[in-house]
Amino acid sequence: MSRLDLVVEICGSAGEGTISAGEILSRFMSEEGYDIMSFDSYPAEIRGFGKCVAHTRISRGGVLTPGKFADVLIALNDIHSIGQLSVLKEKGVLIYDNKPARYHLEDQSVVGWLEPGMTPYGIPLTELSIKASGNARARNMVALGAFSALFGIDRDAFTESIRRRYGKKQQAVIDSNVNSFLEGYAWTLENVRKMDSFRFDGMSAEVKRDQLIINGNEATAMGALAAGLHLYAGYPITPATKIMEIMSKELPKRGGIFLQTEDEISSIAHVIGAGFAGERAMTGTSGPGFCLMSEFTGLAVMAEVPAVIVDSQRGGPSTGMPTKHEQSDLNIALYGGSGDSPRVVIAPTCVEECYQAAVLALYIAEKYQTLVILLLDFFLSNSIKNMDPPTAPETKYLNAHIVPDAEALSDYKRFRITENGISPRTIPGTEGGMFFATGLEHDERGKPVYDTVSHTRMTEKRFRKHKGIATEIPAPEVSGYEGDADIGVVAWGSSAGAAREAVEYANEKGIKAACFSSLFISPFPESELKLFSKRCRKILVPEMNYSGQFANMIARYLERPMERLNLVTGLPMASEDILKKIEEIEYL
Amino acid sequence: MPSNDHYVIIGNGPAGNHAADVLRKNDPDARITLLSNESMLFYYKHKLPALIKGTIGDTELSVKGARDYKEKNIRLRLGQEVERIDPRENRIYLKHMEIMSYTKLLIASGASPRVLPLVSNFAKHLKLFSSFTDALNQIGDIRNGRRYLVLGGDLVSFKFVRMLKSMGKEVDCLLYPDAFWPFTLTKDMAEAVNKSLTKDGIRVLSNDGLKSMNQTCEGIDVVTDNGYTATFDSVYAFLGMVPNISFALGSGIDTDRGILVNDHLKTNFNNVYAAGDCAQIYNPDIKSYWLSVGWKNAAVQGAVAAENLLGAGYVITPSPKSILSVEGFTVDTSWWENFD
Amino acid sequence: MNVTERYKKNLMVSNEDGMTKAMESVKTIVYSTDPRDMGLVRKSIPCQNACPAKTNIPGYIRCIHEGRYGRSYELNRMANILPGVLGRICSKPCELFCRHGESDLGKSVSICSLKRSAADLKSPLHRIMEGLYSPSGKTVAVVGAGPAGLGAAHELSVLGHRVVLFEAFDKPGGMLMYGIPEFRLPRDVLMLEVENILRLGVVLKTGVRVGRDISLDELLSEFEAVVITTGCPVPNRLNVPGEDLENVYPGLEFMERVNRGEKPYVGKTVMVIGDGFTAMDCARSALRLGATEVKINIRKTEEYMPIDDLEKHEVKFEKIRFYSLVDTQRILGENGRVTGIEFLRTKLEYSPSPPYRTASVMPDSEFIVPADSVIVAIGQRPEPSGVSASIEADGSRIRTVKDRFSTNIKGVFAAGDCMSGASNVISAISRGRNCALDVDEYLTGRKRKIQVVRLESVPSTDRDRSYDFIPRTPMDTLDFDQRVKPGNPEVEKGYTAEQAADESKRCYLCSLVYTIDTSRCIYCSACIDVAPRDCIKMAEDVPVMEDGSLSAVTETKKWNRVAAIAIDNERCIRCGKCYEVCPMNCIHVTKTELIELNIED
Repeated sequence: MSRLDLVVEICGSAGEGTISAGEILSRFMSEEGYDIMSFDSYPAEIRGFGKCVAHTRISRGGVLTPGKFADVLIALNDIHSIGQLSVLKEKGVLIYDNKPARYHLEDQSVVGWLEPGMTPYGIPLTELSIKASGNARARNMVALGAFSALFGIDRDAFTESIRRRYGKKQQAVIDSNVNSFLEGYAWTLENVRKMDSFRFDGMSAEVKRDQLIINGNEATAMGALAAGLHLYAGYPITPATKIMEIMSKELPKRGGIFLQTEDEISSIAHVIGAGFAGERAMTGTSGPGFCLMSEFTGLAVMAEVPAVIVDSQRGGPSTGMPTKHEQSDLNIALYGGSGDSPRVVIAPTCVEECYQAAVLALYIAEKYQTLVILLLDFFLSNSIKNMDPPTAPETKYLNAHIVPDAEALSDYKRFRITENGISPRTIPGTEGGMFFATGLEHDERGKPVYDTVSHTRMTEKRFRKHKGIATEIPAPEVSGYEGDADIGVVAWGSSAGAAREAVEYANEKGIKAACFSSLFISPFPESELKLFSKRCRKILVPEMNYSGQFANMIARYLERPMERLNLVTGLPMASEDILKKIEEIEYL
Repeated sequence: MPSNDHYVIIGNGPAGNHAADVLRKNDPDARITLLSNESMLFYYKHKLPALIKGTIGDTELSVKGARDYKEKNIRLRLGQEVERIDPRENRIYLKHMEIMSYTKLLIASGASPRVLPLVSNFAKHLKLFSSFTDALNQIGDIRNGRRYLVLGGDLVSFKFVRMLKSMGKEVDCLLYPDAFWPFTLTKDMAEAVNKSLTKDGIRVLSNDGLKSMNQTCEGIDVVTDNGYTATFDSVYAFLGMVPNISFALGSGIDTDRGILVNDHLKTNFNNVYAAGDCAQIYNPDIKSYWLSVGWKNAAVQGAVAAENLLGAGYVITPSPKSILSVEGFTVDTSWWENFD
Repeated sequence: MNVTERYKKNLMVSNEDGMTKAMESVKTIVYSTDPRDMGLVRKSIPCQNACPAKTNIPGYIRCIHEGRYGRSYELNRMANILPGVLGRICSKPCELFCRHGESDLGKSVSICSLKRSAADLKSPLHRIMEGLYSPSGKTVAVVGAGPAGLGAAHELSVLGHRVVLFEAFDKPGGMLMYGIPEFRLPRDVLMLEVENILRLGVVLKTGVRVGRDISLDELLSEFEAVVITTGCPVPNRLNVPGEDLENVYPGLEFMERVNRGEKPYVGKTVMVIGDGFTAMDCARSALRLGATEVKINIRKTEEYMPIDDLEKHEVKFEKIRFYSLVDTQRILGENGRVTGIEFLRTKLEYSPSPPYRTASVMPDSEFIVPADSVIVAIGQRPEPSGVSASIEADGSRIRTVKDRFSTNIKGVFAAGDCMSGASNVISAISRGRNCALDVDEYLTGRKRKIQVVRLESVPSTDRDRSYDFIPRTPMDTLDFDQRVKPGNPEVEKGYTAEQAADESKRCYLCSLVYTIDTSRCIYCSACIDVAPRDCIKMAEDVPVMEDGSLSAVTETKKWNRVAAIAIDNERCIRCGKCYEVCPMNCIHVTKTELIELNIED
């Protein structure tokens, strides 16, 4: 293989250590200097015996998607893995337990379903685990040992990595895991003949011990904390719970406040309260919770209080598919709530961007005294990448509070009409800075008024803020073919990575394709999109929703026919899917 | 009327594949499963030396692709080994711990190189070569090595010796006329072989035997009974073939050297047949039991066994007498034509 | 008060009032004769059940594991007075039934080799244990100093009777001395264990053939009882032309001559006919007499040979070849000497009785193989009239009362191969011993020993699960060139202490019986989750069999029919995993042993 790019899947039943094996593998590969991206799937139910899949792509050349198909499938559970064979590539490798405790019934063994061309490696996982650790719980480690032996991975380096991973645990736990790994490694080396051609070479070329291995939720939380978050109020919901979990640990340590409220309405209310009090505050939720918050989002806009809501989208409507991926909350993020309610919508496209997006969200909310919605999704929240530790945000992002000067305070108008729409704001308790803040339309002092002129001017003022924000948003990311292209892919959120990768593959195949994506959805870099559109013969908008919410949105700017790729498979957008569509429409 | 039969064929060689085709043709609805312990598709064994030499690749080695099986709706289970058979319950226990059932079974598991008792003391030093897996594992060693000893106890050994020689290797060949396969090498034949190989620069050791073997960092030090001493990169043993029937031992299916079948290729179980190199049949012409040799025999037997599984009742007839010419001698064959 | 009773009671919760009664574990040692406990021992300890002498196999292997070789040897001696001998030449029926050898579990434990290691590794000044009874004043003659005779003589002596052992040959041991070659059984090992029997006061009279040198009537006038253990001295014949040629030897006669130190002529090419241990011994002995090509010709196939794989391996290792599916038609000769054999090919045919195959010849398939000598080892049979014409026979065997040992003549008993037909050494020893108990009952008018099940609660299994993956330890043997040399050195080298320790770990210790106390079980199925195979079952019922023992549990998959979670001790491999994970500690381990007790204690 010219460029190493290997997708490994570990498939097992809940409780078999499937996910932790995936995590150990990604961590080690990252330490060894590889780029990794993982995306695990597990059952919706909290406890049970459902199917778990730890999916990791290991590459030397940077990774944008976890890859749709696997090169290696490690089957810890046969029944679940049979279904997973469909994602194994034609020349894929299967590592399976050839000595389970009991016989499988006919057709219930994964290796029985292998297609010609695939290579099976039978390893007595259960037996070796029992031999090395006295019980069958370390089958996952035996499997990793076998994997390492088969693919030429440095045994000692991996062992050290496992030791570090379990460093704080009891010695017995460390020993049981390490011994099982070594047992699997030794047995495989001695008993298995290598039949496939995959192999890691040049291990430890560039050891990177300080790499972060985090998912989108963790990156978001880190960004928010780095941006000086003071209060987080939330109610647990998949896939956003992890953010809350981190905040519950981290905020109290930093003198901040963490609150688990009785419901999402209360969460957003707390956030607005904290914003009113001049502190940076945030809540996190998913679609169903976001719906509950809608009513309060209007208050943040009307009372011009900074508020940040993270919505990690999942399959909907209603409770929908809690552990499945979808990008179908764009409409409610853009248009939810009552009245003419301008809001900022930020949709990071990858794990690294989540960090940046969280910083920007809190900064813009504070500076422009408005509502910011950070749209993550199931995939982004759960996909794991390795990255260099981010640099701390510049100071301008840390304090964006625009306060009235002494002169203004002498006759303080909280909602003063200004050119950029920003009215300097006092913190309650500031001498002379008293004001009303309600959900009612108001005059410049905040006193409720309902006259024609005031409502018109105030509405205009609130919308005017977006002009300022538009000047602060990062430039859209444009990649692929630079001249006049046949196909321009416009993507958003987590689908953008797949789009960029698909365009890369298309370019390799000689197709003139280019890609456009923006971190900010609202305000949107409209003119850049128009420029991009002009040089593309066709526009393709891939997204993970049925109604084409994003395509509908940009249709307003482009006023031209567009190709759409709308999938609601519950799975992340795959570059293969987009590439297929590109090839389909290229000659149309 | 749709058939509810599940035909299971153990072995993905000529016998198994011909049988599968015959079964599919005559019974379009039945389930057919073909089991192989190798991961490779059905391939030409006699082309393995070419693969080692690098004159052909994997694709040229295989007889047919995976699509062929898909089209014929034949379930191909590769890389799956049979552990044992329970013919009373019509069950097969696979080594990876899966239980399969069949209604009709054909054993066509072929044969593997044998290690004769006369070299069993040296077994750990000997390499065997007969399958794609062997080729894959040894391709590097063969290409990189310089000097080899081949224990020439069968016809295949000469091909291997020739391959090594044509790759520019130094080759010694120790002849085993008494234990030769598939026939005893007469004194005249042995002399002819000696002459033919020696002429092409191969050192032939006759009337000799192995005395000791020692692995050193240089290679394998070999001393023969006659005192010939040399160091080799590898020692390859070609001492004939032995049927792969370990999974049938003790199952109730009668075995001797191979699976015992009657002239319909039926075992002592009515729904179990055997064909090809693993089947042992009584041949009245030579008043002896014999084991099939070679591709062509296996293919014919596979087809006949399949017809009989379908109820035809054909009697297997030995191949006609013919003459095989190798390495400077000819041999009359009366129940096989070629050993490939 | 026995385990099974409670086990049963708890299982049948719906029918009995035992439902709420907590099952108390067996705290003390309990002895039971309950048929359910007897049945439990029979089924859950398959090796011991398969042993004709009912040797306490898990017990003696455990002793080896603990390094108590002497104790292990003595445990053996309780059932079989020749452990060192049997540790070498036993036909090991136990190993066929060893649970470790069940499919998917690996290979059976080397029970026989371990037996030998106890004998080899025990202290040379080891203390012999004998439970001696007071002298009874009775006298018994034992005719034949083979395994059965030695077994009977020993037990009779222990029971206090005065024993005279008559042996026709000049040395004791019978087939052990004259049938089995020295390279399988060194004579010092045999003589030491025979000496241990003679030390109890047994008078050995060699060179006396009863029926020729002294009559049965004379014996009966001198002794209160006579035990006949004359074995199978008459060889079976092929009944083919040429069998009387020179250089055609009956197997037994051939071995006898070899064992006396003679060197019968074998020539270069030796054809052995027969498929039993004697045929193998003849072939291997012929090789040691200078033969270069030895072939063993069998009518059926290797699979149906009555010998184990290890023996086949040794034979093949010595470059002796098997020729299967052949039937001897005639032996060819010139000038009275053998020149060859004419065979017919055979084919296998189904037969309704074990081993379920017969061989039938195929017409017109004759062929001739040259030979310098022929050894016919196709079995032997008893000679019932050899001792006295008045003893009633059953075919070629001495007739005894069903399941007992008394013959038609009052005070005359028969044991071993002369009454059972050709069998094996361990069976003969066992029969000799059991015959002695019959004789004792005849002489004293009562039973003095009884078999009971001893039950003892043990705290844990004390076995590591990893032991289950230790491969069977092969016994080292001599290299080929070391074998064929003067003195016929013993081929098998025996286990070293390390090898014995390794191999002893492999025993599952099936005498430990696992039971679930159903009154405390909470049906969490944690045990089923960790079960290594289908050994823990959801049970609906446990039917009682005719003999009063319990049959296998009736399984159900429907929770509403589950009466109990039950451990199937026939499937259980004693891994202890269920015991470890049970959150209720409701799994009990009971050491269950079949022992012999003195009734009057």
